[in-house]
Amino acid sequence: MKRRKFLKVLLGLLGSATVVTFAYPLVKFLAPPEAESKTRRLVLKKSEIPTGEAKGFTFNNIPVIVINRPDKGFIALSKVCTHLGCLVTYERGKKILLCPCHAGVYDIEGNVVSGPPPKPLQKFPVRVEGENVVIG
Amino acid sequence: MEVGRKIRDWFEIRIGLDEFANVQFREFRVPRNSNVFHTLGLVTVIAYMIQVITGILLLVYYIPHPEFAFKSVQEIMSTVSFGWLLRQVHVVGSSLMVVVVFLHMASVFFMGGYRKPREMTWVVGGLMFLITLMFCLSGYLLPWTQLSYWATTVVTSIPTAFPYIGDFISRVLRGGEYVTGITLGRFFALHVSILPPLFLFLMLLHIFFVKRTGLSTPPFGLSSEQQNPWTEYRRETHPDGYPFYPHFVKKEIFMGMLYLTLMFFFITFFPMLFLPEDANTPADPLRTPSQIRPEWYFLVPYQMLKLVPNKFIGITLLILLVAVFLLWPFLDTKKEPNILKRPVLKTVFFLILILLAVLTVWGSY
Amino acid sequence: MRYLLLALLMVSSLPLGSFAGYREKFEKEFLSKPWAGEQVEEDACIACHVAEKMDPKFKNIPQSWKMSIHYQHNVSCHNCHGGDPKDAEMSMSPQRGFVGTPKYTEVPEFCGKCHVGILKNYLESGHGKALKSTGKGPNCVTCHGSHKEEQYIKKASIDIINERLCSKCHSYERAKIMKQALFLTEKKMGELEEGFSRLKAEGVYIEEEEKGLFNIQAEFRTLFHTVDVSLVKERTDDFAKKLEPIEIRLKNTFSELRFRRNFSAFIMLLFAGMGIVVFILSRPPKE
Repeated sequence: MKRRKFLKVLLGLLGSATVVTFAYPLVKFLAPPEAESKTRRLVLKKSEIPTGEAKGFTFNNIPVIVINRPDKGFIALSKVCTHLGCLVTYERGKKILLCPCHAGVYDIEGNVVSGPPPKPLQKFPVRVEGENVVIG
Repeated sequence: MEVGRKIRDWFEIRIGLDEFANVQFREFRVPRNSNVFHTLGLVTVIAYMIQVITGILLLVYYIPHPEFAFKSVQEIMSTVSFGWLLRQVHVVGSSLMVVVVFLHMASVFFMGGYRKPREMTWVVGGLMFLITLMFCLSGYLLPWTQLSYWATTVVTSIPTAFPYIGDFISRVLRGGEYVTGITLGRFFALHVSILPPLFLFLMLLHIFFVKRTGLSTPPFGLSSEQQNPWTEYRRETHPDGYPFYPHFVKKEIFMGMLYLTLMFFFITFFPMLFLPEDANTPADPLRTPSQIRPEWYFLVPYQMLKLVPNKFIGITLLILLVAVFLLWPFLDTKKEPNILKRPVLKTVFFLILILLAVLTVWGSY
Repeated sequence: MRYLLLALLMVSSLPLGSFAGYREKFEKEFLSKPWAGEQVEEDACIACHVAEKMDPKFKNIPQSWKMSIHYQHNVSCHNCHGGDPKDAEMSMSPQRGFVGTPKYTEVPEFCGKCHVGILKNYLESGHGKALKSTGKGPNCVTCHGSHKEEQYIKKASIDIINERLCSKCHSYERAKIMKQALFLTEKKMGELEEGFSRLKAEGVYIEEEEKGLFNIQAEFRTLFHTVDVSLVKERTDDFAKKLEPIEIRLKNTFSELRFRRNFSAFIMLLFAGMGIVVFILSRPPKE
């Protein structure tokens, strides 16, 4: 009988170990993620970017370009080309964004004009609040 | 243990817990010559419950829209704490469940458990098998990977073999000409809210039938006294058998542990067995991978259709075989319950098993 | 009787497999609609250039091209040479942008139609200036090859800088110094690339990270085309710093994968242990 008792106790231990091994991940799975240290917003002064010009920033570890379009105001686009990941450059004269790796061309709305990129550039929400331009 | 006794007494005076437990678990007996295959039914239930629980938890983070589906699954695999564990269990569990269901069906067939008076149990079980396959089909599309997208395209184009209504059926399945977000929406609704209650209902029906008529006795080595013609209802109580609890319950728990060990064996050592490279690439409707194949459990019909020269004959044959499978208890009229004494049926049974294995392996090339 | 017929039916389906070309037939039946397979495009260029009648000088081209990195990335004849691949009559028409074979001195602009950043650096470099002023010097094809004869354009690697190639015009010394300057960074980038393909094999989806690495690689190699050793040396530290976070993330991902394996192995052992204990307990007691 002692052996059976030992086995039953062992089973109980293994069982509770299993329950804990599943309960812990379950709790962590359902728990809300910790507040991330991501930049929620990027605030710029309107005067930093005159009309027709653009400036590069980093937002949440993504290189971003903010363009002051002459007729439509500010737009914030990711500089990461959707083809293979090179960073696009702003060609002010031609009003395009050009990727130097394989000549992918985007217009200043971020849409693909020509070349290999499969998708438009990622856009970020932009708001103008008084003297400030707020991204994100 | 005082607390335990008090709780039991609380329930006892309200619902007669002791008598209920006695009838359901102690007096319900298992035939003396039962074997390990008798446990497979309950293992299937355990497998299904695991799928339901992991599925519901995955629902917390999954987004059923073509633009976000793949990303949400990747988030589950990489960002969410232990999301990978739940997803792996769900993926491995789906394949293992098909295996267990199949083993359960094959052993019931082999032991003649479908014979009168248990025909309805077999039919309901057969329907559950088909629903399991539909679960697999609909669930496969949800991660929206290259494999999902193109395997679904192939499988939903199979109904086009029917002359007039084929195209219509395909279009209804897909929600259009192509596999799109509409297809995803349909399959998601099917997988999450239509099939589960249907399956649950059939499962309860199936268990009711099993308990009402009693567990069938394996016909091996028994004399023909078991062959009394069945003319009125009676329950097979196996008075000389073992009580379900504790004897059979222990066997069931062992089989459950075996199932779970096997599942985690795969998750530990072969985590990518059911997730090849194309299953980790987002769906691209403009680029077909070089090798489109449905998942392993569909390779049998897939390979069969490839072999039969005419599309229409191929799919009619498939449907015919499924009908024969579902209605087998009504087609089998021989009185002998022991398959070992029926050389023709025995040979056909093993031939079919071998054929299924051959077709599955062949289809994987 | 019925089982016999059934068995015969199933067994007889096997020899039907001897039907030659069943796979192609299946693919034609089920995968021929646009939604069920890739549309294989008619390419007029290839159709003529592989024909028996074609001048052997041009017949090799499609074969060489198929081995190249351009082919792997779906860049075909008309992307570089212009013309219309869908219309045999207009396939070499200047109206559709056909430019034919570029002259030796115009090769950089020909390739630079797509490889914009590299063209810029090349033209500013000693190599570019030599080509433009004297008509002699290395152009793109000199180092990277083309689809001529047995050559094909391979994926760029540091071994393009070698004694045979670089001592055609000047001593190998300068090229050797440049190769040394590039070496460490290239090695690190190669290691990271390899790490990524290992991760992919383990099922981790790393497209974002790969894009980040590609960007750095592209910037580095574009820089090389200035053939300015001091510039490369100056910027090497920059690049090393950029590569560091990628390396850290890679290391973290591998340790996470190890943790997962150990964790699921632990669970497996728990279940196996419980299975064994239950099995022993379920055997009838020894009384």
